[in-house]
Amino acid sequence: MPDLIPLVSAVLIAAGAVFFIAGTVGLLRFPDTYCRLHALTKADGLGLALIALGIALTASSFGEVFRIALIWFFVAVASATGGHLIATYARRVDRAEGKEGS
Amino acid sequence: MRKTAEQTPGHDGPPPARATQMVLRDTPPPPGMRWRRFAVKLVALALIWGVLTEFRVDALYFGVPAILLGAALVFAMPVAPGWRISPAGAVSFALWFAVQSVRGAVDVAQRAFSPAMPLRPGFRSYAPDLPGGAPRVMFLNTITLLPGTLSAEVEGDEVIVHMLDTRADLEADLGALEARIAALFGLNVNPRGST
Repeated sequence: MPDLIPLVSAVLIAAGAVFFIAGTVGLLRFPDTYCRLHALTKADGLGLALIALGIALTASSFGEVFRIALIWFFVAVASATGGHLIATYARRVDRAEGKEGS
Repeated sequence: MRKTAEQTPGHDGPPPARATQMVLRDTPPPPGMRWRRFAVKLVALALIWGVLTEFRVDALYFGVPAILLGAALVFAMPVAPGWRISPAGAVSFALWFAVQSVRGAVDVAQRAFSPAMPLRPGFRSYAPDLPGGAPRVMFLNTITLLPGTLSAEVEGDEVIVHMLDTRADLEADLGALEARIAALFGLNVNPRGST
C-alpha cells in the first residue's frame, strides 16, 4: 500500500496545524503572560513535532530525517528554556510593579 | 484534575514528609577526562556536520573551524560531576515524555478553545531532591512540557511553578517526574536519614 504514507503524513501535518492554531488562540485569549507561555510552549511544541513527523515520513534520505529531528530537538529545548526565561523576567517585572501574583 | 498519587500517599492529610533523597555517584573525574570528552565531542560534532552538509567536501571550509571551536569550548568548560544515562531509563523516559507532552498540549488546547476557558492560574513552589547539574536542568525543562505546569523561576533550592489550574496535584506530578529523571540518570535513591 504505497498510498498510505502520504495519507498518514497529511493527517499528521493537519493535526500539527490544529495545535498551532490552538497555541495561537491561547496566546490571544489567555489572561496573562504565564498562561500564554503554557499555550505557546506546549501546543506549538506538539504542533511542530507532528508536522516534523509528517514531513519525515515523506523524506527521501536519512540525512533529511536527521535534519528534521535536529530542528525539532533544538526548537523543543529553546522553547522550554525561553519560556522559563520569559516567565522569570515577567515575575521580576511584576515584583518591581508591586503586584506579586499569588 | 487529580493525577495518580503514587508518590504522595495520604494527600488529604498534612503534606507527607519527603522520604527520598537522590545522590549522584561521587566518582571523581579521572585525569584523562578532559581529553576524552574533547575527543568524543569532536567526533560527534564532525558526524553532525557531515550529515547536515551531506558530506560535501567544500563545506569543510566552514565545518572544520566550527567543529574545532565547538570541541575547544567543551574542553575549556569545567568537568561536571560524573553522570551517565541509563539506557533502560532513557527508553522509558522518552516514551513517558512523548505521552505527557501530548497530554499537556491537548489539555492547553482544550482550555484555549473552550468558550468558558477554564483557568485557575497561580504559582506554587516545589523543592526537588534532584542534584544540581544535568538532572536539575532536565527537570526544569521538562516541567514546562507536563500538563498545566510551567517552570517560572528558580529561588535557591526551590522551583516556582506556574499552574494553569492550582487545584491539580503538583506534588504527585512533579514527584513522578523526579523519579523518572532519577531513573534516567541512574541515580541512587536513598531513604532520607539513612546516610
